[in-house]
Amino acid sequence: VTLAPAAPRVAGLLVCGCAMPSLEVIASTLVSGVLLGGMLGLTALGLSIVLGVMRLVNLAHGGFLVVGAYAGFVLLARTGIDPLIGLPLIGLGMGLVGYPLYRLLLAPFAGKGPEASLMTMFGVSIIVENLLVLGFSADTRSIDRAYATTALTVGPISMPQIYVIGFCISVVVILAVHGLIAHTAFGRDLRASADDPGAAAVVGVDLARVHALTFALGAAAAGVGGTLMGVAFSFTPSTGPSYLLNDFAIIVMGGLGNVLGTLVGGIVIGVLQSLGGLTLGDGYRDLVGLVLFLIVLTFRPQGFLRGRVG
Amino acid sequence: VSALSVSAKAANRASGVPWLAMAGWLALFAALAGAPAVLDQYFVEIGFKFLVFCVLAEAWNLMAGYCGLVSLGVSSFFGLGGYVAVGLLNNTGLALAPALAVAALWAAGMAAIVSRALFRLRGLYFTVGTLALSEALRLFVINAPFFGGATGLVLRGDPPDAAALLRDATVAFALATLVMTAATRSRFAVLLSAVRDDEDAAAQVGVRAFRIKLAVFAAASALVATVGGLQAVKLGAIEPYGSFGLQWSVDALTVVVIGGIGMRLGALVGAGFVIALGELLADYPEAHNAINGVILVVLIRFAPRGLCGLIADLARNLRRPRGEKSA
Repeated sequence: VTLAPAAPRVAGLLVCGCAMPSLEVIASTLVSGVLLGGMLGLTALGLSIVLGVMRLVNLAHGGFLVVGAYAGFVLLARTGIDPLIGLPLIGLGMGLVGYPLYRLLLAPFAGKGPEASLMTMFGVSIIVENLLVLGFSADTRSIDRAYATTALTVGPISMPQIYVIGFCISVVVILAVHGLIAHTAFGRDLRASADDPGAAAVVGVDLARVHALTFALGAAAAGVGGTLMGVAFSFTPSTGPSYLLNDFAIIVMGGLGNVLGTLVGGIVIGVLQSLGGLTLGDGYRDLVGLVLFLIVLTFRPQGFLRGRVG
Repeated sequence: VSALSVSAKAANRASGVPWLAMAGWLALFAALAGAPAVLDQYFVEIGFKFLVFCVLAEAWNLMAGYCGLVSLGVSSFFGLGGYVAVGLLNNTGLALAPALAVAALWAAGMAAIVSRALFRLRGLYFTVGTLALSEALRLFVINAPFFGGATGLVLRGDPPDAAALLRDATVAFALATLVMTAATRSRFAVLLSAVRDDEDAAAQVGVRAFRIKLAVFAAASALVATVGGLQAVKLGAIEPYGSFGLQWSVDALTVVVIGGIGMRLGALVGAGFVIALGELLADYPEAHNAINGVILVVLIRFAPRGLCGLIADLARNLRRPRGEKSA
C-alpha cells in the first residue's frame, strides 16, 4: 500500500534526473509546477480555514480529499456525468456531510483543549480509509477522461491539459471563498470568531453555528479539490496522509487561515516539488515538500505570509 | 490536556513499597516467559503481537499520557529500529540482543537530534511535525541508494523460532515496565505532569521542560526501536512501506486511547482488547480497523480515560454505600 501520490499520468513529462535538462524542459517544469501548485492550494484550503477559525487540526482532511476523488470516480461510473461538471454537486454533498459531522463529533469538545478533537478526527480518518477499502478495495484507481492524459503545447513549453483546467477551477474557487469571507455577513462572523471568539460571542455571533458552517465549507472545498486531484492523478484509499502532509506544508508557507495565502503556498510547493523531481529524481518530489515543511515549522512556525483569516 | 488527563495521584502514592503490584508484575512476566513451553504455535504468535503492542503503547502512553507529547511518529522509530537491527545482524557478527541495544541507542540519539526542531512545536504542531518526520524518513529510505529501496532488506541467516522471540519480547516489555515505573512512581512523575499540564508555568518555577521532554521522547523512542527490531527479525525481511507505515502509530494511539490515556494499566488493557478484537475479526481486517476507529471516537467523547477509567469509576460506585449518588 503506497501513501505517495502516483506520478502524473501524462506521458512526456516524467523527466529523469538527467545531467543537464534542456531549457524547454526547465521551462515546462516551472509552468507545470505553478499550475499544479494552484490545484494543491485548493486541496489545502479546507485545512487552512478550519485551522485558522477554530484552531482545529483536521487529521481527516486527507481522507476528505480522497473521498472527493472517489466521489468523482463513482459519479462518472454510475451516471456518466463528467467529474468536472459534477464538482458543485460533490462540493455540496461534502458540505452536507461535514455540517452534521462537526455538530455530532466536534462541537462537544469546543473550548476543551485541542487534543480531543485532534484524536477524534484521527479516528474519523481511520474509519474513512477502511470504509473506502471495504467499498472499493485497496486497488489504485483513476478517473478516465481524455483531457486528463493529453498534453497542451504552447510554443516550446508543454504542460498537462488537466493542470491548466485544474488551475483555473482552483483559482476561481479560492477567489470565491475569499470573497465569501471578505464580503458577506457570514464571512464577517467567521473573521470575528477567528480573531477573538470571546468578543464575537459577546456581540451575538453564534460560535457553534459559525464553526459548523466553516467546517462544512472546509469539507466542501476538500471535496472539490480531491476530485480535481483524482482526475489528474491516480489514487488509493490510503493516499490521504500524503495529501494531508503536502497541505500542511502549503499552509505553513501561506500562513494559517490565509485563504489567498494557500494559493501562494500551493504554487511555492508545486514549483519546488517539480524542481526537486527534475534535479533529484521523481521519488524525491514529496520529500522536498516535507523537508521544507519541517524547516519552516522550525524557524518560522507562523508561516511566511501573515497568518490571518481573510 | 485537562480533558484527557488524570491528576498526578501517582506521585502521592509513591511512598511505601507496592508489594502487591510488584508481585502482580512478576507473576505476569513469569507467565509470559514460561508460556511458550505450554502454549501451541497460534497463541505464541498472538502473545508476540500482544507484547509488541504493549511496548508500543507503554512508550506512547509515557509520551502522550504523562508528558503531553501526542506523537504520530511512532513508525519513524519502529522502522529505524528494524533497519538498524537487520543492518547490524547482516553486516556484523553481533548477536540479536546487542543489535537491539544498539538500535535502541540509535533511536534515542535520533530522538535527541530531531528534538531540536520538534520541541519548538507545541501541542498540535508537534503532532503534525512527528507525522511529517515519519513520512520524510520513509521517503528517504525508499529513495536513498543504500537501504534496498522499495523492496527493502532481507535478513541473512535464520530468524529465531517463535518461542525465543516471545521470550525476547517479554524482556522488552519488562524493560518498558521498568521505564514506566521509574517515570511514574518517582519525583520525576511530578515534573512530568507539570510539563504536561502547563509547560510555561513549569518553566517559570524552574522545571527544565526541554530536558524532561527529551528524556521521555528518547526513552520512548528507544523502546519503540527495540520492538521494531524484534518485529523485523521475526518477519525476516523489512521494507519501507511496512516498517515506516502510519499503521504502527495508529496502533499505538488506538491501544492507549482504548485502554486509558495516562492510566498506568492503559497499555496492557488496551493491547489485550485490541488484539482480542483483531483475532475475532481476523478475516475482516478493514472492518476491524474501521471498528477500532469508531470505538476510538466514542471513547474520546464519552470515556476519555478509556476502559481503565470506566472500570475505576465502576469500582468506586460499587464501593460507595447505597443511596449516595456518584458525582
